[in-house]
Amino acid sequence: MESLPVTEPVLLILLSLIEQPRHGYAILQDVQEMSEGRVTLSTGTLYGALRRLLDDGWIERFEEERNSSRGRQAYRLTPGGRRHLQQKVSRLKQLTRVVSVRVVRKET
Amino acid sequence: MFSVYRSLLYLYPPAHRHEYGEEMLAAFREVQSEAAKQGMAARNLFWLREVQGLLAGALREHLRTITGSHCPPPIVSRRLSMRSEFRFPKATATLMTIILAAVVMAIEKATAIQNSILPSSPPVGPIQPAHFTFLPTLLLILSLACLVGILGWVILFGLHRSGAQRLADFDPSRERTSGGLRV
Repeated sequence: MESLPVTEPVLLILLSLIEQPRHGYAILQDVQEMSEGRVTLSTGTLYGALRRLLDDGWIERFEEERNSSRGRQAYRLTPGGRRHLQQKVSRLKQLTRVVSVRVVRKET
Repeated sequence: MFSVYRSLLYLYPPAHRHEYGEEMLAAFREVQSEAAKQGMAARNLFWLREVQGLLAGALREHLRTITGSHCPPPIVSRRLSMRSEFRFPKATATLMTIILAAVVMAIEKATAIQNSILPSSPPVGPIQPAHFTFLPTLLLILSLACLVGILGWVILFGLHRSGAQRLADFDPSRERTSGGLRV
């Protein structure tokens, strides 16, 4: 679990799943919206990342309930994945704080 | 267009196609219908992105099947790439070892050719098998390189000098009060 490198697309996918479970297309849309159109994932990149996250136990796949005979597959964060995501976000916040401190010091 | 995408999915290993093929097709169908509403340039960009994503994804999956581990995605942005523990730069070490092996092999090959030329006869004769001494030398040099690499890794690991490690230990509030440079 620890060895998974968190690239920007992976981070955005995880952030997309932090609110609610989503299926593939919904993740693609949400990633684009969150990044204000800066990051647009292809389906190949998305499913490659989802597979890695599934293998590492950060997310899990389940069948969405629908009226049709076969439900759509959706993804949600596991408790372990949520914990690791929070750690990554904490580190990003810490990094942002360092940047702020340095920038303020440089300007004064 | 949809049939082209379906055909490209056959580049993936069968297991991956079986597991995710239908989902990828469904997602692609929705993205495609959205892209169809946009202009020609956006549609071309969409196709370029999808084909690139599929080719890179298929390559990654095949490598994963062969090596059994995930390799880093080659085309996605790594601007925020972070690892939570110290890691030895394996890729660099592997590349350096390959380059070193190639150089040693080239030197040995040249020596073998030189040794195969008899002093009395000007024409170049066939390379004698007895002159191929590069394998033991190569193994020796590779062993030494590995030993040096392991030694370096042990020293660096012991010192805990990676940037991630120092960042994890960093406390900005302490820095603000002390005014010292610790990062």
